[in-house]
Formats: sequence, structure tokens, C-alpha cells
Amino acid sequence: MSCARPIPKVAVESLTGCAGELLIILENLEKLLPFIRLSRFTFAQSTNEVGPVDITFVEGSVSQPHDLEKLKKIRANSRWLVAVGNCAVWGCVQKGGCSACSPENMLKSVYGEQSNIEVMRAAPPREYVKVDVELSGCPINATQFLSVTASLLKDHLPYITHKPVCLECKLRENPCVLIEQNLPCLGPVTAAGCGALCPSLGAACYGCWGPCESPQMDAMATILAEKGFSIADILVRLKSFGAPDKLFERIESLLPRDPSKEGNLYV
Amino acid sequence: MSEIDRKRIEIAEICRVEGHSAVSVTIDDGKVTEVKLEVFEGTRFFERIVLNHHFDEIPHITSRICAICSTGHVLAAIFSLEKIFGFTPSRKTNLLRELMHLGMIIESHATHICALALPDFLGTPDLLSFATTHPEAFAIWGALRSLGAKVQTVVGGRPFHPVNLHVGRFAHEPDAAELMPLLHMLSNNMDIAIKLCEILLALKLPFEKTYQSSFLSLISEDSHYSYFGRNVISSEGWQASVNDYKQYMDERVVGYSHAKHSTVSGKPFMVGSLARLHFFSERLGPAAGRLYGKSPLSAGQQNTVLNNLAQAIELVEAIERAQAVINQLLNYPQEPHESFVAPVPTAGQATGAVECPRGTLYHYYQLSEQGAVMAADMITPSAQNAARIEHDIRVVAEEYHGQQPSQMLEKNLETLVRAYDPCNTCATHMVRVQYANID
Repeated sequence: MSCARPIPKVAVESLTGCAGELLIILENLEKLLPFIRLSRFTFAQSTNEVGPVDITFVEGSVSQPHDLEKLKKIRANSRWLVAVGNCAVWGCVQKGGCSACSPENMLKSVYGEQSNIEVMRAAPPREYVKVDVELSGCPINATQFLSVTASLLKDHLPYITHKPVCLECKLRENPCVLIEQNLPCLGPVTAAGCGALCPSLGAACYGCWGPCESPQMDAMATILAEKGFSIADILVRLKSFGAPDKLFERIESLLPRDPSKEGNLYV
Repeated sequence: MSEIDRKRIEIAEICRVEGHSAVSVTIDDGKVTEVKLEVFEGTRFFERIVLNHHFDEIPHITSRICAICSTGHVLAAIFSLEKIFGFTPSRKTNLLRELMHLGMIIESHATHICALALPDFLGTPDLLSFATTHPEAFAIWGALRSLGAKVQTVVGGRPFHPVNLHVGRFAHEPDAAELMPLLHMLSNNMDIAIKLCEILLALKLPFEKTYQSSFLSLISEDSHYSYFGRNVISSEGWQASVNDYKQYMDERVVGYSHAKHSTVSGKPFMVGSLARLHFFSERLGPAAGRLYGKSPLSAGQQNTVLNNLAQAIELVEAIERAQAVINQLLNYPQEPHESFVAPVPTAGQATGAVECPRGTLYHYYQLSEQGAVMAADMITPSAQNAARIEHDIRVVAEEYHGQQPSQMLEKNLETLVRAYDPCNTCATHMVRVQYANID
């Protein structure tokens, strides 16, 4: 009941990403400030505590040893660990944009042969630590963020669905840009939550929330191939926003690949 | 007696900036011997990521370099690709792009000035104390941030990582019913933007003297203050096409940082609001022009910390200009099915550039005949400013390490770095200065 319970402590942390989730959280903090104590948020304040917190929101992917060390500390200090944003759920473009490239080669091509920067293949936190809740999106949906936070503040794990974008698109009664306009819409295999933003404007969904539950990648590739897109182009598109490689094993087996070439050089 | 009196200033993580960076300063016998700005944001290899992607995916991917300036990354990519195709967008498309960009300027500048820079001057170490002890400034931030986000949502589909901007056109052109509420929102927020500017005009600078360098900025092809252009101007007295950026700008990798360092004629330079106002203050709208006239900038002062004020002047300008753009859009002749010829993919290469909140952003692409990316390069404003930030810290630490108590200097150095509004996710959070006497 309302006997003296300490004010819940919340931390907002970032690994490697675009800081988009930090912005969404920052913009919605006013609604939370009366109910929480903001222990850490280095993007937004100078005084930050160390030590245990009730909820940590972490954005970004693990892309360097520094990120991994930080993530392990975060996990150890957090009761609930919530991964926010595509980077923290799927690895976003830094994983999917060039999923077959080795980070060492990418480093050399961007920073030169002598670079001593430590790199790792971009991966979401779940590959290294237990994550309690995953909220995808690029950026996340603010309403979803607030309701998940409210739920966790009541010690209740929220239930999050990963239905495809098509579902939201149909509810908005949009004409189908894939079927009617032959646009390379990835709505059938992409997690909803954005409100079918792109198709509602007449553009193709490009998959920024990552894959939906049980994505039918083979069927998606078949439809796009029927529309005239090359298998190579289709694979590059389907992987851009971090969908795991194992979803594409069958499609990839159809492609002759030149083992001397590294990366997504199917084209 | 040969021992060196060594002091080290270590700022382990600069807070209230975008991304992760640290500063270290070594002072031996009262002389600054080493300054390092270390950007340790994880590397993300966008130049490599975009390879082999079809050109229509590129704006969506480059948008992810940085959330707060995502519109800038989208536009720089679109400008480069349209240049390759020899494609000229419609006037309406150009106006909508400008409106979108102004939305980003408003949101980014408001967030930087209020949430990141101002707390140093107000003495509020955390958000709760900021919200409770300075409710007026906190409310200004909320209102202006929402304004910028709203403009970008109406035009671009969401507050950042826009979905409506594509090579050649907008997927959906907002109509009068969508634009009218923006017009009212903009005019309703003009007063508080001016108020914010006046708050900044009254602030006392932590240092009288900072580093001086040349400025670089895009030259707008229009007569009004603008963020788009194809050529740059330097305060050293030359101009060049952005296509030649590799000739006039050197970029080198520094071992201790994930951000590359840029120089022009072998020297650091500055891009951003201070630079733009240095060249184009006479193009400002009436309200922004009046504020500029009252500011030390009009007297020729170039103190780095004044970049905060320069951003506040640009914020007022952006609100003025956005209203003019909407009025032009509302009066635009109705042509429901304006003949649109989609750009035809061709092989080629070009550089596109745009003035982002923090300065000039370059995107270079080389495309195959099928329209896939063969090579890419992106030079961000924060990377261009990185070398200058180091020089600035050196000059200021040298001048003031004997004059200001260590804690104050540490705090003020952080204020100095923050004035650049550095965006480390682009270039690839709390400053703690530790003085240690090492013998």
C-alpha cells in the first residue's frame, strides 16, 4: 500500500548508436520526473550516481569492448534492464547494413591500415547479458515507452507484441503500396509499433523496427523477386535494419557468392 | 630539483553532449604540454555500411548516423544523389525541404541551448533541479523543442529519422490543413524564442579570451539566410565548390580518438552558427537581425562560448523564416498531379552538403549504373571542429590555469567544449577534472 516506499531509481544509458532513444526519453521525462529519481543520465545531467537502480534503459549496440564492460556493469546494477531502440534489440544498420563484413576490415577501410581502435561486430545487449524487456523502434514509440515504464514501476513485466506492420496498415485502411504500386515494402516482415508510418504516406516500409514475430522472409523475397527486384538487392534490403542472418539461410543458398569478396557484394 | 611540476586535467566523460567523449590536459611547470579530446563513441563505419545498397535506401540509412541531425544527413545524401542524376527537384519540394530543415534547427538548437548548455550558467546539475528552480527556462525548452519536433513530424513523418523525404520528391506533400496549424504554432512561439535569446545575451562568459581561427560555411544561393548551398566560403578569403572538399580540407586519423581531425591550410577551423553569422548576418530576418545587432557578435567578438548565443539568434531566424516558407507553400499554385519525372539512376559521383545545426556536413557517393553505392564518404561538422576544440582547450587552459581555481577551470573547460555542441555519434557526457601533482 502507500507505506513509505523509496522513490524508484531510474538510469538511462547508451552504448553505440545515434542517441535517438535518449532524445525520446528526454522529451518524455517531464511526465516521469514526479514518480522517479533519475539516478543516471549523462546525456542530460552533470550529477550522476553510481550503484543499484530499479530500471535501466539502455540504447545502442555493443560495438567495442568498452560497451561490453559498461553493459555488464549496468546489468549488475539494474533490477530491470530494458533495451530500447532497434540498435539495442537487433543491432540496427551498424549490424545489418553490412552484416557479412568483418569489423577489422571495415576499420581499415574507414580509419586506415594502422588503426588501433578496438572494434567488435555490432550486436544487441541480449547476446551478452539477460535483458528483461526489449522495446524496438527507430526511434521507439513514446507511448509504448511510457506504458512500459508505468508497468515496471508497478513491478509488472509488460507484454509486448511483435505483429507485422501490415496489421497496422490494414487498420488504417491504406492501399497496399507493395501490391498496388510495386514498391519494395517490407511491412509483411517488419515489427509494427510505428503506426504503419511509411505506407500511410505512400512510401515503402524499409524495416526500421526490425523483424516481426515469425517473419516469412522466403515469401517476402519471392514477392519482391516477382516484382522485378534482384535477389541480391532484396537480401541487402531485408538485412539493412538488423534482421538476424539465420533468417536468410535459404535465400542465400540460392545465390552464387564469390568467396574472394567480402561483405554484401551480391549485386 | 629537476622534477617537473605536472598537473593533469582529466575530464573522463563530458556530460550533456551528444555521445561519449573525454578531455585530458597536461600542464608541466605551468605550461600546457598536451591536450587530447578523446571521442570514444563506438565506431559505426557508415562509409562502409552504405556500400552496395540501392540509392533509395541511402537517406534512410545515413539518417541513423545521428538522431538530432538526422534531417541533415538525409538531405546531404539526397543532394549528393540528385547531383549525380542531374535531377532538379520542384520548387515546392525545395520549400518543403527547407521547412523540414528549419524544424531540425529549431529542435536541435533548443535542446542544446536549454538542456545542455544553459544548466552551466544556471547552476543546475540535474534535470529535476533545472525543472524546479528554473521553471521558465525549462518551459521554454519544452515549447521550442515541441515546435521543432512538430514541424518535422508534419513535413517528415516523425520528429527525427524522417520517412517522407526521398530522392526526387516527398512521398506525401502536406496540404494547407496540415500546414496552417504549424504557422500558428510558429508565430505563437516567436516571443519565447526572443526571450531565450535575451536570457543568453545577459549571460557572463567564463573566459574573455578563447582560440581564434578561420571560419568555413556554405554559401546560400538565395538572398535570405539559408542552410543549403553548393559552394563554401572561408574567412581566409577564398571560395570553392563542395565537390572539391578533399582539396581544401585535410582529414586525418588521430590515434587516441574515434573522430578524425580536419584542417584547412594546415590549421584548425570552425564551422557552425558562429561561422554562419560571421558571413551572413546581414541576411537575417528583422527580429533575428535586431537581436544580432544587440549582441557582441555584431561588434566582431568571436569568443567560442558565444556560439550558444549564435544558436539562439538562428533559432529566432528559423522561426521567422519557417513562417515565410509556409506562406509561400500556402500560396503555391494547386497542381494536384504535377508532372513528376522520377530521377533515372546513372553511374557517377558527386558531393552534397548542407549546413547542419553544428556546421557543414558533406556526403559523397559514387554510384554504379544500377544505382548501387560503390564508394562513400561523410565529413561531419563535429569532426571538422574536433581539432579546433583541442586548440581552444589549450589556449584557455594556458591562459587561465593560474587564474581560475582548479574546480572552476574544470567546469569552465566543460562549458567551452559544450559550446561547440559537439555531436560525438556524428563524429564517430560529465567532465571531471583531476589535478594531480606527479613528481
